[in-house]
Amino acid sequence: MSIERFLDNSPSSWMAGIGEHSDIVMSTRIRLARNLNGYRFPLAFTEDEAHKIDQSVSATLLDANEDLHKHFSSIQIKDLSELSRQVLVEKHLISPKLANSPMTGSVLLSDDESVSVMVNEEDHIRIQCLFPGLQIQEAYTQADAIDGLLEKELPYAFDEQFGYLTSCPTNTGTGLRASVMMHLPALTMTKQMNRIVTIISRLGMVVRGIYGEGSEALGNVYQVSNQTTLGKPEEDILADLQSITEQIIQKEREARNALLKHSSNTLEDRLYRSLGTLSYARIMTTDEAATCLSDVRLGIDIGLIKDVDVTILNECMVFMQPGFLQQYAGTTLNASERDMFRAKLLRERLQMGVTPKTKGEELT
Amino acid sequence: MICENCKQRPAKVTVTQVHNGEHFERHYCEVCANSLHPFYVEYKHDPLSLHQLLSNWFNHADQPVHQKQNRPQLVCDECGWSIQRFLDEGKFGCASCYTSFRKQLPNVLKRLHNGNTSHVGKAPGAFGEKLKLKKQIEAVRLQLKEAIEVERFEEAAKLRDEARELESKLAAGGDETHVD
Ligand SMILES: [Zn+2]
Ligand SMILES: [Zn+2]
Repeated sequence: MSIERFLDNSPSSWMAGIGEHSDIVMSTRIRLARNLNGYRFPLAFTEDEAHKIDQSVSATLLDANEDLHKHFSSIQIKDLSELSRQVLVEKHLISPKLANSPMTGSVLLSDDESVSVMVNEEDHIRIQCLFPGLQIQEAYTQADAIDGLLEKELPYAFDEQFGYLTSCPTNTGTGLRASVMMHLPALTMTKQMNRIVTIISRLGMVVRGIYGEGSEALGNVYQVSNQTTLGKPEEDILADLQSITEQIIQKEREARNALLKHSSNTLEDRLYRSLGTLSYARIMTTDEAATCLSDVRLGIDIGLIKDVDVTILNECMVFMQPGFLQQYAGTTLNASERDMFRAKLLRERLQMGVTPKTKGEELT
Repeated sequence: MICENCKQRPAKVTVTQVHNGEHFERHYCEVCANSLHPFYVEYKHDPLSLHQLLSNWFNHADQPVHQKQNRPQLVCDECGWSIQRFLDEGKFGCASCYTSFRKQLPNVLKRLHNGNTSHVGKAPGAFGEKLKLKKQIEAVRLQLKEAIEVERFEEAAKLRDEARELESKLAAGGDETHVD
């Protein structure tokens, strides 16, 4: 399968808008950090070490295609243009760190893009599983299977006291980072996020907005994840995240009901204005687009807006980013050109997402 | 203020970077901030906070440079990184650093992991087998004690043999047991 497949505008499986609580939890991600014995960590290794690690990890995983019932493609980061790297970053398939690394590194991607294994990022191996909706256990099971497979063939750096040895001491132990991406517009509108961020941080979890500041997140999307990796077994880390996520979902639903009860006219006006902006605006910044997409998503969730497909909104959050816009436009765009192109793309996508069911016509 | 990257839109986002121990502030518009530091970047603030945390913990932050250099330093044989470099970067150079700095690490890890300094949880094959064997032996010994207490000697003899077999497996490195 060619690399183009991963760069075009086809949606990744996590954007499908399925899975439990998918109206609030957009996606679940599991990341395992692993390193090999006998090679220094990427911060200190030589190009020769990088090359050898890359070869053995890639070969092991590509050989295991059948055992995993998944087909992987290996992509050398150095072979990619700068724009292609940016697109993979925007699609959450590689990290900016890997994209900008001067050393040999690669990413192994499953065809449905639910699994990406980064080689020579901050650690030798980073296994990532990205699932739609709230599927913490499912995503972990997948990551664990890949981990087991690599472990059989490759000598992992492990210590009886410290566990899996990682480049950064914040990952030492399980090397596990479990996170959920949540859309929390009502908690944001009712100014409850700061309080929630504070409470959660006391529970060994962390909440981040899009710029990591915590309070005002782009598009009201927040990432909740475990902060500690030492002293708690994997099952407990996952169970704690599950329980905290469920409680936040509950709070968000309560806040939505309260908004509907006490200010339904204001809310309805705001959500429809955003739909109008997305449908007709000619210039759109990332910020405005994210806000409008968040409003329309909320409108769909509370049953106000009925004729837009929610998967289109998931895709738009990704495809409206600068790299994708330029990939789609097939040319370099400056900032103001991007804003215009973004508005155009959103108009087109939104029309595609409108199902003409509202007119009462039967669709076959 | 105007965005440092595109020099077109107003700067709204401040990104703090640490490079060679120096802090730089970058001011971007939201479009550029999003492209240069997308949502996906996880824990991008960690290197800074971790660095501060480690420095404060070891009280190195305010010491003049020459003083630092005069102090005898722990160095990792494998990668050549000193413990000071680990503290400055907030990262290890290699897996052997964990062994080289083993004594100092609990103090660092404690701060990062809610007071925890030891791993519990999954372990790769050989290690996992060993741990499993140790737990099995413990369980069999407990059963053996119970059997002796209620004078079921036939069962006790069987359990004793079982415990011995497990112990010899453990002594052999725990590699013989198949992974299930
Ligand atoms: Zn800019
Ligand atoms: Zn080292």
